[in-house]
Amino acid sequence: MSAKSKPAALLGLVALAVLLAGSVVGLFVVPADAAQGDVQRLMYVHVPAAWLAFLSFFVVFLMSVLYLIQRDLRWDRVAASSAEIGVVFTVLTLALGSMWGKPTWGVWWTWDPRLTTTAIMLAIYVGYLAIRSFADDPEKRARWAAIVGIIGFANVPIVYLSVIWWRTLHQPPSSPRSVAPEILWTLMLNLAAFTLVYIYLMMRRIRLARLEGKLEERVAYHG
Amino acid sequence: MERGTTLALVGPNGAGKTTLLKCLATLLRPSGGEGRVCGFSLREDADAIRERTGLLTVRGYVYDELTAEENLWFTARMARLGLSRESLRAELERVGLDRAADQRVRTFSTGMRKRLVLAQLRIRPLELALLDEPYAGLDTQGMALVDEYVREFRAAGTTVILASHQAGEATRTAERTAVLRGGKLEFADHDRAAATHLSAHSLGAQDR
Amino acid sequence: MDVLRRAWAIVWKDLLIEARTKQSFNAMVFFAALVLFIFSFALGPDTELLRRVSGGLLWVGIAFTGILSLSRTYQSEETSGGIEGLRMYPGDVRAIFLGKLLGNVVLLLSVEAVLFPAAAILFQIEMWPHALELAGIALLGTVGFSIVGTFYAALTVNLRAREVMLPLLLFPALVPVLLGAVNATTLVVVGDVMQDTGIWLRLLSAFDVIFFVICIWIFPIALEE
Repeated sequence: MSAKSKPAALLGLVALAVLLAGSVVGLFVVPADAAQGDVQRLMYVHVPAAWLAFLSFFVVFLMSVLYLIQRDLRWDRVAASSAEIGVVFTVLTLALGSMWGKPTWGVWWTWDPRLTTTAIMLAIYVGYLAIRSFADDPEKRARWAAIVGIIGFANVPIVYLSVIWWRTLHQPPSSPRSVAPEILWTLMLNLAAFTLVYIYLMMRRIRLARLEGKLEERVAYHG
Repeated sequence: MERGTTLALVGPNGAGKTTLLKCLATLLRPSGGEGRVCGFSLREDADAIRERTGLLTVRGYVYDELTAEENLWFTARMARLGLSRESLRAELERVGLDRAADQRVRTFSTGMRKRLVLAQLRIRPLELALLDEPYAGLDTQGMALVDEYVREFRAAGTTVILASHQAGEATRTAERTAVLRGGKLEFADHDRAAATHLSAHSLGAQDR
Repeated sequence: MDVLRRAWAIVWKDLLIEARTKQSFNAMVFFAALVLFIFSFALGPDTELLRRVSGGLLWVGIAFTGILSLSRTYQSEETSGGIEGLRMYPGDVRAIFLGKLLGNVVLLLSVEAVLFPAAAILFQIEMWPHALELAGIALLGTVGFSIVGTFYAALTVNLRAREVMLPLLLFPALVPVLLGAVNATTLVVVGDVMQDTGIWLRLLSAFDVIFFVICIWIFPIALEE
């Protein structure tokens, strides 16, 4: 391993360790939820995944804006990396939500506002990655992607609001149950783990993107 | 280039003449380097360049379902010219389209389309006229019209760049010639013998 | 203002061409009516059910038809040399967005003028007493649809897989518009006991304003070569 990837490797190890810790705690240490039973443990993975899916998308948005202002391809590389990783987290969120829903509500899918918005977010992500595949010129690709990223992200809160209204108009809002402290702590632990994993993956992916960029330049120059 | 001169841009098909003209017209963004047109930077002042530059392409930008006069009116509007219908009709008369002024362009022959596109260029006050293959598809009368327009442009002080793969055509009215080949541009001062030499040998690819 | 005059010139040109060829309008009306017909066929003869879903069916029909016409928005430019022709003129390119947007809105609204009565007949709904409200909903929804649609159509105009990319990009973005329009229409048709229509109208208006500002702002970047 080259000297440059040492910090990334270190971070990877730390992330793995925290992930392991979080999983052990979530699966074995913390007591199961009184009402839902062991299925509730899925939340320890589902919630962090959802949070990270959203964070990734926010990063895409931020980088897109930065790119359009400064036209520096570095921002575009970060955006693209975040989008790829974000897709993984989004699919994970949906899958886990579905897995949780079957034993709890008896159905694989519900039109719950958060789940629905996440599904739509996945569609927007896919559109983002799809439009990237259509441009060979790195600057054109970055420009198109940035536009899709910005508009896509701007839409997420509006979509969320509209789906909430759609589902819950004149239904009593679900009262937030008080959360036991150990559940909260386990959640935080797993959240930290996932965030570290995200950062690690980003570091690796961005480095790969940088190398890809160099390769593209060389090919373009020599024809 | 010097303002007000006419340059013939020649080169084999595919050499990039159209690409070069489109870059100058700010339609294409150069992948590298700097350019100045009419004193304005290609990268920063593209709009100022568009104000003063006109591009004539082989098909031209005309709408088949509109009449000649409507097409001209549209151009005038988009180029922010406050021209009256009468002056537009007068221009159509100059290019010989007065009788076809109210016919849809769909019914036009290649020559008639070319004349309309020439008119579109003429109504604008241009500093630089970029003509891409202006003689394509024209009969002798049409070609004479193009020559006349080039002379008028020159008289009005407009710089003209004429691109053609037929060197003989382009160099007829031009003062200087530039050859675009293999991505490189070579200037040559106008010289009858050189022009014939160019057309017979250098542009051999399409002659074979 | 200069931008408005040029936008108007584009609207005039597009509508004039459309009026002369009637290509888009006829195809759009026929297609939308077909969609409505097939849906009601698939759902069965339960009149009460059809009444309740009529809002949804109507707007699905409008959405599909709208996407058809969007990819043709810039097609009229293609036969005349491409959108380069418009980009060559000096001045703010936003005039192109405005012009195309207005053209799309007018075209889609005129299709809806036929579609709504057709739906009223097919689904046995009393639309006439609510004509004004429905017109308002149609306007807000169509504008919202056209804003994002015109923008993405410009972005994808030169892509090889335009027919797939445009719906892919467009539909997630249109969720708020569809939800708003469908719910508002359904409430008007079925009866709005709780006065909820206002919320949906506000959603539509907010969407329209927000995305009009965003899209017209970054339009020049979308059109850059």
